[in-house]
Amino acid sequence: MLKILLPSILLLPSTWLISPKYLWTTTLSYSLLIASASLMWLAAPAETGWSFLNCLMASDPISTPLLVLTCWLLPLMILASQNHLMLEPTNRQRTFISLLISLQIFLILAFSATELIMFYIMFEATLIPTLIIITRWGNQMERLNAGTYFLFYTLAGSLPLLIALLLLQNSTGTLSFFTIPYLPLTCSDPWAHKIWWTACLLAFLVKMPLYGAHLWLPKAHVEAPIAGSMVLAAVLLKLGGYGMMRILIILDPISKELSYPFIILALWGVIMTGSICLRQTDLKALIAYSSVSHMGLVAAAILIQTPWAFTGALILMIAHGLTSSALFCLANTNYERTHSRTMLLARGLQTLLPLTAVWWFIATLANLALPPLPNLMGELMIITSLFKWSMWTLILTGLGTLITAGYSLYMFLTTQHGPIPNHLISINPPHSREHLLLTLHLLPLLLLILKPELLWGWSA
Amino acid sequence: MAPPIYSALIISLGLGTTMTFASTHWYLAWMGIEINTLAIIPLMSQNHTPRATEATTKYFFAQATASATLLFASISNAFLTGEWDILQTPNTLTSSLITLALAMKIGLAPLHSWMPEVMQGLSLLIGLILSTWQKLAPLYLIYQIQPTNSNIFITLGLLSIIVGGWGGFNQVQLRKILAYSSIAHLGWMILILSFSPPLALLTILIYLMMTFSLFSSFMLTRTTHINSLATTWAKIPILTISTPLVLLSLGGLPPLTGFMPKWLILQELTKQDLAPIATLAALSSLFSLYFYLRLSYAMTLTMPPNNPAGTLPWRLNTRHNTTMMSLTTTSTICLLPVTPAIMALLPF
Repeated sequence: MLKILLPSILLLPSTWLISPKYLWTTTLSYSLLIASASLMWLAAPAETGWSFLNCLMASDPISTPLLVLTCWLLPLMILASQNHLMLEPTNRQRTFISLLISLQIFLILAFSATELIMFYIMFEATLIPTLIIITRWGNQMERLNAGTYFLFYTLAGSLPLLIALLLLQNSTGTLSFFTIPYLPLTCSDPWAHKIWWTACLLAFLVKMPLYGAHLWLPKAHVEAPIAGSMVLAAVLLKLGGYGMMRILIILDPISKELSYPFIILALWGVIMTGSICLRQTDLKALIAYSSVSHMGLVAAAILIQTPWAFTGALILMIAHGLTSSALFCLANTNYERTHSRTMLLARGLQTLLPLTAVWWFIATLANLALPPLPNLMGELMIITSLFKWSMWTLILTGLGTLITAGYSLYMFLTTQHGPIPNHLISINPPHSREHLLLTLHLLPLLLLILKPELLWGWSA
Repeated sequence: MAPPIYSALIISLGLGTTMTFASTHWYLAWMGIEINTLAIIPLMSQNHTPRATEATTKYFFAQATASATLLFASISNAFLTGEWDILQTPNTLTSSLITLALAMKIGLAPLHSWMPEVMQGLSLLIGLILSTWQKLAPLYLIYQIQPTNSNIFITLGLLSIIVGGWGGFNQVQLRKILAYSSIAHLGWMILILSFSPPLALLTILIYLMMTFSLFSSFMLTRTTHINSLATTWAKIPILTISTPLVLLSLGGLPPLTGFMPKWLILQELTKQDLAPIATLAALSSLFSLYFYLRLSYAMTLTMPPNNPAGTLPWRLNTRHNTTMMSLTTTSTICLLPVTPAIMALLPF
């Protein structure tokens, strides 16, 4: 575990000591090296489930895919930010890269934490670099509002979580993941138990986000620069899912009744946000709302707590992370050329940028969960397990799948097909950097078709 | 101000607090507090502007009222119980009155109204002395009363946290914001005082450190208004990185040091079966985080190449010694991982 963490920490002094000529290439290659080394976590052999243990950190089949995704994402973020940061002074470039690296450090510590308070502190610690990335390097005035919404929604959910964890520590004496599933949990007052249950889950539901508490997400995703959008969509939302998976183990048995409203809200959110996507004019907002939609499925699946549901949720989290990040990179290629997020202003790109159209096509197909991509595997397992839980959910999830296909197609057809608008005078051809970026997003997704067992979590 | 007078006043400030620290008799403690008040009055009004004089007068009235109440309560305690010893103030009525008098001395809600206006009229250095040194003597006395009934402390604490957050919402003057932040942090301190006095000590020490950093950054750039924060990048660029982190630490965000007292206080409160109060205190501190965040927006997050929010300032020569400030700023940002060591050092 430290083999990956310490090099990540030491990337920070490297960023500040490299000469400006080699800053981007060096940080990119070092972070790619760390990302390749992190693949060793996938070969976890332990029978007990927990591998690569030290006193404070460990990885198990649920956290391993998320850890690898986190490490994989840093070189991609560096690659994506290179263009829009080129004009800034060197110290600011170094600061930006340092923020990305510190985000990676906190995320590695969060996903590999073996104790709930450590997880909580790292969960909160990811807020500060993300806030600074969104509000300092975002491009519009609304980014300040977005940062405030992001910070306060997450904190309002997570402060009750802190108190719930402290209460748990008082009654059980420990908060270690190793022993918590085996501890008897008694709470005398049923009312207090229900409030404690809600306090435990609220932070993660806001982070995922659950449909009713999702307002921060479109703002934050839209206003963030490309690296911010990538890390938000790919990993930070999954922190919520991962936290929920970890903490639901101790929340039984009242979860059976108490999770009803949240499951229904999540499924309803799938349809509602999908419908919003059909009416969006802003490309990044469309991708943001599609994130809410997919995460609604994940939230519902995690709340019903069956093995297939957990597996489907984990697969969908990883696949959606890669897909959504790829879509944001594609939206960024549009933004860098036209400086506008409006879809209608950059139509007909299949004629202008045919190679990028291939990436748009693959990413769109991944978004609408085409077989044999892992997105489908995740969605299908979730839909099946939800159907077993209650057959009426099939209406909601089936409709959701239909609407997802609808808006993905809408996004693809609007940006790629159709006549070229008259005002697009000069569009730069795609840089090889952008092709590399999208390859690095979509190739793992395609390779995961061949071995999805890596993502199956505890069912493996 | 002439150096002999200035040094006499500073020495009297130290003398007053030290006398209070060293005393076991209520008379001597009260005398120490009075010396403190009298010594800082000329320091407050040293530039003789009407605003400073107004602030000094308000401070004098508030502190005189509180001192008189304190004297009355301690004499009544001696009358009712025959005890002049500070450590033994058994009578509940008089010890509550003493607590309220001392609360007014340090500016806890609902006795806080004098604090923002007094702070606004002072220079940043005297404001720093007001919010750090002047709090020590009354806090020590509250610490020593060894309260058993926690209701008054919880009320004072919760009200202060809420008022400290809510009051600072609309402020653009930095000194008023610092006053409200002082009210909020002292609220956290007083909340835990009846349950775990060592934790209260930890809170006040960490608060002193954080507020020293913040005051020092403002003194270095000579900013007193939120708009003039916007030109910090032109004066001292490193402050644009450190001050927002200090501000977020004051707001209690992990993984910065300011999270440590809040975490430990919430832990102690949940151990005492006061989880709803803990939740209310934690959520109320989000109010103060809002205006700290607004300060960091003004300072750093709207830096060029975004449109600057302030006009170009006069560059006056400042030669401040930044040793203490760099120490406290580093501690404000990096001290959370050593929480176990700090907890071991305090007398738990």
